[in-house]
Amino acid sequence: MDPMLLLESTVRGVIIGLTYAMIALGFNIVYRVNKSINFAHPVIVLMAAYVALVASYRYNPLLAYLLAVLAGVAASIAIERLVARPLLGRPPVALIGATLGIYYLIKGVTITIGGAETASLPIAYKLYNLGPITLGLNDIVSGLGSLLVLALVILLHMKTRLGSAMRAVAEDVEGAAAYGIPVRRLMSFSWALAGLIGALGGLFLAVKNQVSVELEFYAIRALAASLLAGLDSIGGVIVGGIVLGIAEEVGGLLLDDYLPGIGYDMAFFILLLVLFVKPYGLFGTERIERV
Amino acid sequence: MPAGVFKETYRADMAHLRYPIHWAGLVLGAGLALTAPLFLRGYYLDQAILFMIFLIAAVGLNITLGLAGLISLAHAALMGAGAYTVAMLALKAGFNSVLAIPLAGITAAGLGFILSLPSFKLKGYYLAMASLAAQFILEYFYSLLAPEQYITVPFETKEIAGIFFGEGVPLYYLALAITLVLLLAAGNLARSSLGRAMKAVRDNDVAAEIVGINVTRTKALAFTIGGFYAGVAGGLYALYSAGIGWEGFTLLVSIELLGMVLIGGPGRVVWGSMLGVLVLKTGWTNLESSLNPLLTGMGLDIIASTAKYIVLGTLIAVFIILEPEGLIAVLRRVKEYLRLWPYSY
Repeated sequence: MDPMLLLESTVRGVIIGLTYAMIALGFNIVYRVNKSINFAHPVIVLMAAYVALVASYRYNPLLAYLLAVLAGVAASIAIERLVARPLLGRPPVALIGATLGIYYLIKGVTITIGGAETASLPIAYKLYNLGPITLGLNDIVSGLGSLLVLALVILLHMKTRLGSAMRAVAEDVEGAAAYGIPVRRLMSFSWALAGLIGALGGLFLAVKNQVSVELEFYAIRALAASLLAGLDSIGGVIVGGIVLGIAEEVGGLLLDDYLPGIGYDMAFFILLLVLFVKPYGLFGTERIERV
Repeated sequence: MPAGVFKETYRADMAHLRYPIHWAGLVLGAGLALTAPLFLRGYYLDQAILFMIFLIAAVGLNITLGLAGLISLAHAALMGAGAYTVAMLALKAGFNSVLAIPLAGITAAGLGFILSLPSFKLKGYYLAMASLAAQFILEYFYSLLAPEQYITVPFETKEIAGIFFGEGVPLYYLALAITLVLLLAAGNLARSSLGRAMKAVRDNDVAAEIVGINVTRTKALAFTIGGFYAGVAGGLYALYSAGIGWEGFTLLVSIELLGMVLIGGPGRVVWGSMLGVLVLKTGWTNLESSLNPLLTGMGLDIIASTAKYIVLGTLIAVFIILEPEGLIAVLRRVKEYLRLWPYSY
């Protein structure tokens, strides 16, 4: 195995891993307040990319990106109000089923509007040679952008009053409410934040690759990063995402001769492995909940 | 309960056929099912066969999900296991496809048992994710099995004693026989000690364990039996279709099956599943095939291709939020209303 090839795969893995981490953070933020996985999150990623694409035909690119992010936030808030909130206190299967339903609803609407086409967003393509590694401007933008968003969200959680309130709600809803923290509003805010991150994730993925219906699968695979980090961890997603990214790229490189196309399915092997070995992830809180 | 019917024994209370309407339903239903090939032909007979195939799969999922409360998003992959078992046995060993159907069930049941392993430790969302991962991994392996997309099950293996079971009337009666046996088994399972143990595990697993139910065994059995049903359905599907490919067993199909169970009536193994399949499979297919030419004619063919996502998604979400007991509860309310009509109280 050519070591340069390995190095390049690793770097690519880290870059895509940062975007995975960002999308995974969207799952985790919702999990922290609702104790539930938002299976509609992947479709917000997809929707944002298509909204940006369709809007960029008509408006200037920046406005298109802004519209995409707004659409993601609006959809996420709507899901919280119309689906997640009425289902609070119902068994997990209710929310899983309902968010999967919303998943398909939004997917249908997205494809209706965007047409299931594959297209590029209007950004400049340029190649940079960094030593032995060739990276495109799109790789760099998506990697650095994801890192920036991750840093901002983590700072929000760790350093601001809003972040403390969110952590309090994640820790203990009744306790937080007893201290006068507006729990409902924070739940809405958390979903909105998740929608924002998901939409940005969709944009970065679209910039890095292309706008296509495949983007939703990236978001589904990000679940592995989320779980590896622990569903209620915030900073841990960076580790989870990067491990997932590297596993995909390097695993694909090493195993492709024997199992063609295995790279993209590494995520699910990681998922199963984590679930069997350490279901609460590397950084998640262990709940004492025996079956 | 209709007036004038008295039940004096526990046995009478537990019988499958308790009221006159049940007998009437049985005579009518059995009559219709047995004579269907006389008035259903070609496309519509295929619809009836597909209805039974998906009914078997949905009943399986209803046992896992509705009775035992274990979330499985890998049910389509289990169907695939059954279908590929039949196809591979026929292709590689020349094994008779009809006789391979029980083997398909057993293969999928084995896979179902493996899927149940995470459920010993995990609940709710974690279990859903384990099955989601299993769905994608199995999809991947199916795509390896048939790199050129489709496996054709050799026609000559679909024959027994000169009768070709690959299509039409013989396949209809074969499917009907299998469906009836499996439905009867499922109906009885729901009323047996195992079925009650499953319901107890679903409602409160700690309490179930305290009253002496072996929770681990119950969960494993729920997945295994559900897998068996899915495998048989997949085996029939392999017999029915000219070629099988992994696209027939994707996450979308899993979610469709989940929708059938949740919309029909989770926990109502036979009738709930039947309503769900009737609406989401037969009803939708016919609606689609009659609406699509219209939509395409209006130049809206993109809507024709996405309507399925939109309708399926909306139905699932709306039913879960507004009517968690499914269509069967709606039906019950209608029945109550009619029974009391015109004196509504």
